[in-house]
Amino acid sequence: MNTVLEMSKARLTLKGNAGPVEILRGITLAVAAGESLALIGPSGSGKSSLLMLMAGLERASGGSVSAFGQDLTRLDEDGLARFRRGNMGVVFQSFHLIPTMTALENVAVPLEIAGAPDAAQRAREELAAVGLGARGGHYPSQLSGGEQQRVALARASVPRPKLLLADEPTGNLDAANGAAIMDLLFGLRDRHGATLVMVTHAPELAARCDRVLRMADGRLVAA
Amino acid sequence: MMRGLDWRLALRLALRDLRGGLAGFRILILCLALGVGAIAAVGMLRSAIEGGLSDQGAIILGGDAQMNFTYRFASDPEKAWMAAHARKVSEVVEFRSMAVTADDRTLTQVKAVDDAWPLLGVAGLDQGTVAAALGIQNGLPGALMERVLADRLGLKVGDTFKLGLQSFRLGAILTKEPDSATAGLGFGPRTVVRTADLAQSGLIGPGTLFETDYRLILPPGADLDAMKAEAETAFGDKGMRWSDRRHAAVGVEKFVERLGSFLILVGLAGLAVGGVGVASAVRAFMETRMATIATLKVLGAEGRLVMGIYLVQVGLIAGLGVAIGLALGAAVPVLAGSLIASLLPFPAQFGLYPAPLLQAAFYGLVTGMLFALWPLSQAVRQGAASLYRGAAARVWPRLAHLGAMAGLLGLFVGGAVWFSGSAMLALGTLGGVFAALAVLALAGFGLRVLARWLARRRFVDGRPGVRLALAAIGGPRSEALAVVLSLGLGLSVLAVVGQIDANFRASIARDLPSRAPSFFFIDIQDAELQPFLAGLKANPAVSKVENAPMLRGLMTKINGRKARDVVGDHWVVTGDRGITFADTPPPGTQITAGAWWPKDYTGPAQVSFAATEAAEMHLKLGDKLTLNILGRDIDATITSFRKVDFSGAGMGFVMALDPAAVAGAPHTSIATVYATPEAEAAILRDTSKAYPNVTAISVKEAIARAVEALGTIATATVLAAGAVLVTGVVVLIGGAAAGVRARMQEAAVLKVLGATRLRILASFALRSALTGAAAGLVAILAGGIGGWAVLRLVMDLPYRFEPVSAGLIVLGGMGATLLAGLIFALLPISVRPAQVLRGSE
Repeated sequence: MNTVLEMSKARLTLKGNAGPVEILRGITLAVAAGESLALIGPSGSGKSSLLMLMAGLERASGGSVSAFGQDLTRLDEDGLARFRRGNMGVVFQSFHLIPTMTALENVAVPLEIAGAPDAAQRAREELAAVGLGARGGHYPSQLSGGEQQRVALARASVPRPKLLLADEPTGNLDAANGAAIMDLLFGLRDRHGATLVMVTHAPELAARCDRVLRMADGRLVAA
Repeated sequence: MMRGLDWRLALRLALRDLRGGLAGFRILILCLALGVGAIAAVGMLRSAIEGGLSDQGAIILGGDAQMNFTYRFASDPEKAWMAAHARKVSEVVEFRSMAVTADDRTLTQVKAVDDAWPLLGVAGLDQGTVAAALGIQNGLPGALMERVLADRLGLKVGDTFKLGLQSFRLGAILTKEPDSATAGLGFGPRTVVRTADLAQSGLIGPGTLFETDYRLILPPGADLDAMKAEAETAFGDKGMRWSDRRHAAVGVEKFVERLGSFLILVGLAGLAVGGVGVASAVRAFMETRMATIATLKVLGAEGRLVMGIYLVQVGLIAGLGVAIGLALGAAVPVLAGSLIASLLPFPAQFGLYPAPLLQAAFYGLVTGMLFALWPLSQAVRQGAASLYRGAAARVWPRLAHLGAMAGLLGLFVGGAVWFSGSAMLALGTLGGVFAALAVLALAGFGLRVLARWLARRRFVDGRPGVRLALAAIGGPRSEALAVVLSLGLGLSVLAVVGQIDANFRASIARDLPSRAPSFFFIDIQDAELQPFLAGLKANPAVSKVENAPMLRGLMTKINGRKARDVVGDHWVVTGDRGITFADTPPPGTQITAGAWWPKDYTGPAQVSFAATEAAEMHLKLGDKLTLNILGRDIDATITSFRKVDFSGAGMGFVMALDPAAVAGAPHTSIATVYATPEAEAAILRDTSKAYPNVTAISVKEAIARAVEALGTIATATVLAAGAVLVTGVVVLIGGAAAGVRARMQEAAVLKVLGATRLRILASFALRSALTGAAAGLVAILAGGIGGWAVLRLVMDLPYRFEPVSAGLIVLGGMGATLLAGLIFALLPISVRPAQVLRGSE
């Protein structure tokens, strides 16, 4: 098996005003290339934090996290940012589009950061691929929730990442929009052969994945 | 792979991000605009005055060059030299005298002129010409008087008055004296007469105190440096002093330069307050951009790109603020130029001076970047996940950014030292500002800790409003530190100025008159002295009369070297000084070293020198001083030091000579009279009637003039401190405005929980008042320390804490924060909770 993501006894403790809070308590898992994995569990069980650890957006307090053979715990903030380029695309529940940029600009940003000369053209094509070819000049505030998430999807997939991480991508959407987004997400993943890790509350979405892992109280438990 | 920062990409992304509008930057722009505007305005005004002085130097001086003599007219060789070198020469005599009418008498500064006056410029009269006004009519010579003097004496044009024994007719009111700026602080308003008409006045006799100025119009292309050198070589040791159009009014120039530098430094304090505003504005702005920064990081942006994006934005915005400030600073003196010019006793040339604008721009940009770097660097360094969570930044800036901040700070201090021209003044003021900032930061931190601690005490149980206020001050995202810093620094500057001003006025108005004499009488001739003293001593209202013979002389050399080369600009050598002589030590003399000369001593000249001044000038017993008295050089050896107290405004001479040293030199006596205030008018009337040539200087009037002059400086300083405070209030308002959203949330939740609007408002008010009081209390501490340091260490005056000024500062601080807090609390408490809570879901 070709492993793209590997965690061993990964822990995450955050400092709060009331003292340290243990969020993840020794997670060990491996994700194979091309696999789709769903993380499910109750609120506060640590699903999103685990995804943040995978994306290198959060630093593990203990244990090891590696992606594509790179130990993420050894990289500094900038090293992680560089590593994400081209390797990972992240989709959030609340979209996190840059409000002062148009849809097209939002999609082009990762390419521009990576120094791609044809950023605008590729962004236009990607936006068209998610059905928003005509909305490139609109700002996030002028788009519906479903449209914003489609822009976010296009932005995550445009650098052709090998790993797509999605944190409750339909959590803020109604059923119809949610279904459309999931179709797009799986379509993109199938088309580009990326690995997909997704946090979700919805059992029917989890069921579309190759494997489902359940979390409770910061640990992986039997699904 | 590491790449250098792509500035074009940073600029492109920064411009996109700026599409969100400038709302978050309004306070930053305002802070910088105010600080830069104040500094630019002061600098422009200073340049305008310097420009005026330099452009009209010859008119102010009354000629291309001037040769000045104390106590005497120019000798024949000196006059011959002037005739040989100048195209035109005009002689002006200056002295103080009493202008006397049948009912009244008052001190006046007399300018006696020849027919050539004024050589340059035009004298302003309310009617007629100078020649007609000064001409003889019905046997009475004419005179010009300033309106204030004529009014004081109740004189109209055509009325008569006396100077000494000579009667004059008031020929016209003098509205503008072209060569007045060189006179400095006079002891009375001006009267102008012809010198020839004073022949019978008995005023300009040997030994009386007068100065002569010879104004020269030189041939075109005359080499001023060469002429100055020639004149000084020929006549310098005879007491001649040279000045020329290049620096016509040295005293005014120095005063304007010093006051300008000081006000600019006060302006820098304002900019430091503005800097706190910049930091809070940048922090608040970065908080709104947390999600964007996190997203950029998720998309692979390195810290330096993010830093570049926001540095470009802050730089552009700071540039806008600085530009607005420069426009304000340049416009104010130009628009208000004619008004300001009418208030100034010297010419000012208003226009666009690039140097002060560049200086203000430098300060503004450096301050903006210095204060923006910290919150920028913190935001950039924070991890993406914690940015998404909206956690407050607790990380330290990168080492490289700390280094850049240190560099900017060095640039700022170096710039201040360079521009102000006085390292002591700049470092002292900036040191004070930084110390105050450090104390305020500690106080702000302490207030938060204290509030957190108090919020957990029992006494707040059942008082949710108090608990909420304390929690808001002590909790995360508290505005307390920014408010205490910005408002506190503004109040501190005001407190220091307030303490110094109050103490200074008190020491002049309260302490001095109780020790100072009522009058100085000068120009008492030897023949008049005994009856003059006897008359005063017989008066029961007079408690004490002191008298001493006096000559005036200039110290030209110390041990054979030019005095100025040895002791620089010490006040003793910068002009002629009163010198006395006595056979035996006058009563009360305290010899601190050496010994007074024996009675009837006739050997080589000896001098007794004031101990404090001798120590300042590093003089030793046995040093030889060359004193030029009436054009004659006297070499005197210092044989004793004695204690002289100048602080009581009584009689004090730096130098006392043995009588043989000045035997035969014409001199007059000076007397100080201590009398009850009620008797002063009668003493003035009787003495000036009996001794018309004796001039009385009322100490009260002199003090009133000094207080007036001080008042102008204090007003200018208070205005500058006011600008600091306004910046502080802007920062405060910015903080209050930025907190509106958080307060809305709080108010909404509290309403859900059953709190009334009044209760919520009271809690918000308590929070504001506590923060303002903390800022005020620290300001009082800073004001006390600053005031004490300036008065004790710089001015050598006693310091007493002035509670009224201090109390006003605390009340002002509380009032300002309370007002801002309440105004910005009105919206949060008036919005329906559902509106707020829906919006935040």
